[in-house]
Amino acid sequence: MTLGFKFGAQEKIVFSHSLMSAFSYLRSLISKKLDSKQKEFSKLVKENQGLIIKVSRLYTNSLEDEQDLFQEIVLQLWRSYDSFKGQSKISTWMYRVALNTAITLFRKKTKSPQTDELMDFHHRDYVEDDDEKQQQITLLYKVIKMLPKVERAIVMMYLDDLPYRDIAENLGITEVNARVKMNRLKKTLKELMTQHA
Amino acid sequence: MLNEDFNIDQFKKSWQEQPVSDVYNTSEIEGMLNKKSTNYVKYIFWISLAEFLFFAIVGICTIFSTQRSNSFTNILEKLGVQMNDDVEMNFEHLYFALKVFSLLITAIFVFLFYRNYLKIKVECNLKNFILQIIKFKRTVNLFIFTNIGLLIVFSGIITYFIMNVLQAQNIHLNQATLIGFITGIVISIGLGVLLIWLYYRIVYGIIMSRLSRNLEQLQDIENEKGQ
Repeated sequence: MTLGFKFGAQEKIVFSHSLMSAFSYLRSLISKKLDSKQKEFSKLVKENQGLIIKVSRLYTNSLEDEQDLFQEIVLQLWRSYDSFKGQSKISTWMYRVALNTAITLFRKKTKSPQTDELMDFHHRDYVEDDDEKQQQITLLYKVIKMLPKVERAIVMMYLDDLPYRDIAENLGITEVNARVKMNRLKKTLKELMTQHA
Repeated sequence: MLNEDFNIDQFKKSWQEQPVSDVYNTSEIEGMLNKKSTNYVKYIFWISLAEFLFFAIVGICTIFSTQRSNSFTNILEKLGVQMNDDVEMNFEHLYFALKVFSLLITAIFVFLFYRNYLKIKVECNLKNFILQIIKFKRTVNLFIFTNIGLLIVFSGIITYFIMNVLQAQNIHLNQATLIGFITGIVISIGLGVLLIWLYYRIVYGIIMSRLSRNLEQLQDIENEKGQ
């Protein structure tokens, strides 16, 4: 009986050790898999970060908010990463998540800045090399941001050369609607440029 | 240079060649994955969850509490009712049935609420995304309206029960007592409804108006076709 008890205790110890090693092996396996998944994801985001940065700049008015929005978009992309894999084009997935986050989900921290602060914000990258191309981009941001949020998305995707079919699909409208709206937006942008250039 | 013959197509090249492809490195991006997300849907989710828990806990507590039967007994006694086992037992049964029904409704809503939350997919198109959030929020709204409805219906049933007891014991209330009794019920219900409505306007007002505004913009774009 005593022998049996001792044997049982030893068995218990051996069993708990095996269980612990199995758990730690499993944990390291999951951790490695997660690490490699995170690395793969980060590489993908790094390669396509231009799109996220443009969205972040179009929907914020301060550097703090821009960085927060970038981070929120990255988090939302990470959460939907599994459902994305193989389901659609990278650009489609990124545009949708970035625009949905910017237009609907994001909570700004800072209040709307004064006009001067806004211009400084948009001009910050171009101070050293102030050529015409960069002035154009600064002005474009300023003017596009005067449009309602959904219209901003249309203009951005148009400037990025997305076909109307993709613009329409990303917003959930018809291709004809997207085309008609963009034609009107061209006129609106021209008027805004005249007023604010 | 820009305004005279402005054509946005001329800006495409400059736009696409913005210096935005090398702002963050991979380790900075990896670091972001461990940060906390603060967004409106999450905010709605936690607030709604707190509401469900609150209603569920209040419901469960009142089932096991004896305080309300005492206060109910007091009201009946003030109206001149002779309390006996029959009246108390009938009220106990009625109250228990109403609370079980109310908790059952809450359970159904918790299920619907969670199911609609899971349906929100950030990778779908903007219109569907907004509609999914609105549908999720509607479940919460419906839950609140159901609770308001239940408050009114339960008050009606309990008033009917009191009237029946009064009739069975052949008690005739004078006009002043009757008016005071009915006014008390109406004011309590009205105040309850007003407080609930105010709470929801404050808590969900901003996010709901933002969602509606975005949806309206999309609908305007869709309507422009026919103009």
